[in-house]
Amino acid sequence: MGLDFVGQGVGETDGNIITTTIDKVVNWGRKNSLWPMPFGTACCAIEMMATLASKFDLSRFGSEAIRFSPRQSDLLIVSGRISIKMMPVLKRIYDQMPDPKWVISMGACASCGGVFDTYTLIQGVDQFIPVDVYIPGCPPRPEDLIDAVLQVQQKITSGASPKGVETVV
Amino acid sequence: MNEEKEVEEQPKPIVLEKLEEHHADALLAQDETRGTVVVVVRKEQVYAVLEYLKTDSELAYTFLVDVTAVDNSRMESELMQFDYARFMVVYQLYSYQGQCRLRVKVPVHENDLSIPSVTALWKGANWLERETYDMFGINFEGHPDLRRILMPDDFEGHPLQKDYPLRGRGERESFNFDKQNA
Repeated sequence: MGLDFVGQGVGETDGNIITTTIDKVVNWGRKNSLWPMPFGTACCAIEMMATLASKFDLSRFGSEAIRFSPRQSDLLIVSGRISIKMMPVLKRIYDQMPDPKWVISMGACASCGGVFDTYTLIQGVDQFIPVDVYIPGCPPRPEDLIDAVLQVQQKITSGASPKGVETVV
Repeated sequence: MNEEKEVEEQPKPIVLEKLEEHHADALLAQDETRGTVVVVVRKEQVYAVLEYLKTDSELAYTFLVDVTAVDNSRMESELMQFDYARFMVVYQLYSYQGQCRLRVKVPVHENDLSIPSVTALWKGANWLERETYDMFGINFEGHPDLRRILMPDDFEGHPLQKDYPLRGRGERESFNFDKQNA
């Protein structure tokens, strides 16, 4: 059930033994059980909630276990405006997440400040924390967030390190 | 016929009558806009006027809805009205008894940004005055705890003053990361 997805070069003996590399098995597990840490500060967070609710149902992609503790999560979803007063909080939360960790910058505000080109707003969180996937939109639709999660999954499958992490052990 | 009726003068609001009777020297101007009576009051007497408005049994403006300010420095016509007072501190009041609103405006000159605090009258004025101080730099004298409320503690300047640049003075890049992290 899906395990044939784990490796190319799958060799089967009597249908009971599968050979692959440990990296691929670990990545397969990581990819299908991303635990997101929501950092919702604006209207994007409403779309994020819709994504998690029954209609769009992010759990179809294995990411329904929202953790409100950064220490238990490996995917940070920044959804909303980040002010200069909030950025240190976000940075601390990012720092508290265990490696490997991925970051989705959801929406125009988190990615580039959006329409709020003002004295108090961070013009893109990637100035302070590494971002793996950006989602355009104001706010993006739930499908866009699902697409971003799938892109993170692709990135994990490909074996690429998350932005900001040197090597994944 | 109907048009004539509309022209008929409305009776003067009782609050204006009473203010003219008791605080005539404090009144600089009066107006009515969209059903709200607006009075402009001298800064020196603002506390006495607000106290009167709150405690008078007939008026009973017991609810302080909002305290804010307006920077008129780019509005020449507004500026000239009250001897080039740059700021206008605005108090929004509501009377549950009379079910009516009242706006009290106070011209404040740039060279003396102080104004008496009304925290002794309304406890709710505490945060409202802190916000006005934070955004406009109005100094509320007698306020128990006049600190910034929205901007970081080490922020310099008052961002809703019109001469403050919209994109800031580089705070977006140079804000104090560690101090706020502590």
